[in-house]
Amino acid sequence: MARLVRTEAVVEGRTEIRYTLVEDDDTPEWEPGERPALIGEPAARVSAGPRTAGTARFTTDIVLPGMLEAGILRSPHPNARLTGLDIEAALAVDGVRAAIGPADSPGGEEGGVLTGSPGYAGAAVAAVAADSRAALRAGLAALQPRYETAGFVVDLDEALGRQDLFSDPSEYERGDVESGFADSAATVEATHRMPAQLHSALEPHCAVADWRPDGVTVWTSTQSIYGIRDDVAGTFDLDPERVRVISEFVGGAFGAKFGSGAAVPLATELSRRAGRPVRLVLSRREEQTTTGYRTPASITLKVGADADGRLRAIEGEGAIGLGSDGWTYPIMEPAKSVYACPNVHTIVVPLRQNLGPAAAFRAPGVMEGTFALESTLDELAEQLGIDPLELRRRNHSENDPATGRPYTSKRLLECYDRAAELAGWDSRDALRSDGRIRRGMGCASQFWWGGGGPPAYAEVRMGKRARATVTVGLQDLGTGVQTACAIVAAERLGVPVESVTVRAGDTSLAGHGPFSGGSMTMASIVPAVRAAGHKVRQQILQLAGDMFEIGADDLTLENGEIRSVDGALVHPITEVTGKLGNAWVTGSGSRGPNPDGMAVNTWGCQIATVAVDTAIGELRVEKVVAVHDVGRIINSMGARSQVAGGVLQGLGFALMEERVVDPNTGLVVNANLEDYKMPTIADLPEIVCDFVGEPDPHLAVGVKGLGEPPIIPTAAAIANAFAHATGVRLRETPFSPRRILEALA
Amino acid sequence: METVITVNGQAHTVAADDRLTLGELLRDRLGLTGTKMACAEGTCGTCTVLLDDRPVLSCLTLVAACDGRSVRTVEDRGRLLDDLREAFTATDGLQCGYCTPGQLMSAVALLERNPSPTTAEVVAAMAGNLCRCGAYAGIVEAVERVAVR
Repeated sequence: MARLVRTEAVVEGRTEIRYTLVEDDDTPEWEPGERPALIGEPAARVSAGPRTAGTARFTTDIVLPGMLEAGILRSPHPNARLTGLDIEAALAVDGVRAAIGPADSPGGEEGGVLTGSPGYAGAAVAAVAADSRAALRAGLAALQPRYETAGFVVDLDEALGRQDLFSDPSEYERGDVESGFADSAATVEATHRMPAQLHSALEPHCAVADWRPDGVTVWTSTQSIYGIRDDVAGTFDLDPERVRVISEFVGGAFGAKFGSGAAVPLATELSRRAGRPVRLVLSRREEQTTTGYRTPASITLKVGADADGRLRAIEGEGAIGLGSDGWTYPIMEPAKSVYACPNVHTIVVPLRQNLGPAAAFRAPGVMEGTFALESTLDELAEQLGIDPLELRRRNHSENDPATGRPYTSKRLLECYDRAAELAGWDSRDALRSDGRIRRGMGCASQFWWGGGGPPAYAEVRMGKRARATVTVGLQDLGTGVQTACAIVAAERLGVPVESVTVRAGDTSLAGHGPFSGGSMTMASIVPAVRAAGHKVRQQILQLAGDMFEIGADDLTLENGEIRSVDGALVHPITEVTGKLGNAWVTGSGSRGPNPDGMAVNTWGCQIATVAVDTAIGELRVEKVVAVHDVGRIINSMGARSQVAGGVLQGLGFALMEERVVDPNTGLVVNANLEDYKMPTIADLPEIVCDFVGEPDPHLAVGVKGLGEPPIIPTAAAIANAFAHATGVRLRETPFSPRRILEALA
Repeated sequence: METVITVNGQAHTVAADDRLTLGELLRDRLGLTGTKMACAEGTCGTCTVLLDDRPVLSCLTLVAACDGRSVRTVEDRGRLLDDLREAFTATDGLQCGYCTPGQLMSAVALLERNPSPTTAEVVAAMAGNLCRCGAYAGIVEAVERVAVR
């Protein structure tokens, strides 16, 4: 039986009420302390074969018979009005099969993908599909757009000065900060600034659309196949069942690949018009200027504490630049939610600029806010003469300080202890010296959500050779969620992980799955897979009971064998499944809701060791110790990889990543992978990774997400390590040699 | 003009205009989509293939310059490439896998000319291949596993 259940889901800090279909589920949870087979062992990712053989088909690799290549004409001006566009001339070019402008835009002339009033350099104005790239170039050139240009704002401070708000400021208040500061023995106020960080996934946004009279198939590189399905169905007024979205392999996303963007609706409309399949792949310049970024931010925090370092008040003012779209990312969430502090008042001003749309980027808002808060707390610790880690322990909160709700689990104190031990925190002062090279060590706390939730559905089937297939309606961005699904199914079925095939990334398959974001995917899907696997297990044991004339309750399934509890009977599983012929034993499972009235969060602590060459302003991160509490670990190798990736992107944010916009022209001047610096293999620090690993007792399977947590504290830990090494604070990213030399001067 | 080019051991005669790049030839004409494009302007290393045993960026290499030469891609077969595939898998030297073909080809080039590189030599040889997912630790470990010790 299936029931409709009302549930609260927290997505990147926004609480959503959802109604969700949930199947009855009698899968027993593992006993506390039980160490189930395969769970938490290191496992190679199930898709490594095609990914290393070059046979993995990414959207950019899709080729269909008769396929056209499409491209987009984009505004070169940051603010303009289109006064002329020659669609007919483009259509007259040999090989051009379709050309559309704002009047033909999917989504309508107002608010559609193509605009006659481009508000940033790179806004899409027209699109063309042609037989070849050469014909496409000629078709785009024939459009001959004419513009009337207007004034523009790209600078964050200028936007703030003009008070051009994207939406209402976001304000939060508890207690009374004035009385809190009056009670404080020490106060620190600091402003931290950071430019936009670009996602820079190596596979650009892209889509292949094949419009047929009976429906449309869209291949695209996305974080949400079902989100794309609904977008396409809505934009083109189609039955969602007639829209098939395929995203078998995704070449990185990091938050930028939600929504249909420009590629999906334009490829679909051009295919509809031309009657041919259409491929649209963005150029690197388009990718770096039109598909999103972590918002540039300015965050001012004033913190006050008593003589023992216990926080009495936090007051925060922040501004973020959303460009032409986005939402108010939760930059004040750390100030509000990480520590016990009775008096908090924050306000965030979201600003409009003549730049492309912002997009969620791995821990949007929280990473920026953590850099500001954790840096400011270190200044407070120094002023009070308290060890920075001890200051954080003293402000530990047993309940969610914003809501008073109890946590489903929180083992942050264990993270501090373990990280301190692994890093040698207690002897950190021995690193310091007065020489040219100065070393130091700094810490930072990590807070995020990541509890997952419904809706998520899975099907598991097992055939005659006792090999299993798991079908889930999600997409794997490279996080390893498919491997986690295989492990959890294999455990229930008593077979090796390698004998499980995972099918995903196709809305025509069974099972609606979650989007990939908010560190929610694995915690959402894994309980559904486990429930489905358990149903298959029960059926196979029932069949075995019938065959061997023994009660199914007296049988278990492990290591490829069916065994009686007393050990008298042992048969390979294939002895039962071999009787299936070409039938399958199948089971379906769904994700139930998380407990009401509790806060579900992930926690962690990172400690960075840095070496600063004071002569040339070079900051090298030598080591990052990362200890996170994300509940039960399903695949220890995959989990370590997630941490390493997050730490490296955090390191890039701290040391080198910066979108540079020319205020005179409104153009991004480093929209490529050479002038936009990001970490290479030569920037890799030693990363020491550990997990608390205890299952969350209130969540199905005890699992929480790990996509976002590791990026969150890295920049703050590096800034704090720099201050420990040099006695000087860095309050603006990236910590370039120029900034470092200026700070040390 | 016509160019004779050997790809993974097979000779092809290609009628190409002067502007056709090696990457376009491989992906669009020969269907060898294992070689990926991420920037198509020579900045990321993703499209690395071997031209007469040396790593080149296929997005910047003109087919017209490849006459009589030999190209190897991730679709090639061979013991070293297989060992590297296995090692990348075992060390989790990949996440999304989009950069992996280029990483593998840079590693092949390194180990063919220097079968026993130091860690610093591995890092130097692989520094032109970006991995945005940050699988670098696994990549270094994988190359070192296959290196002759």
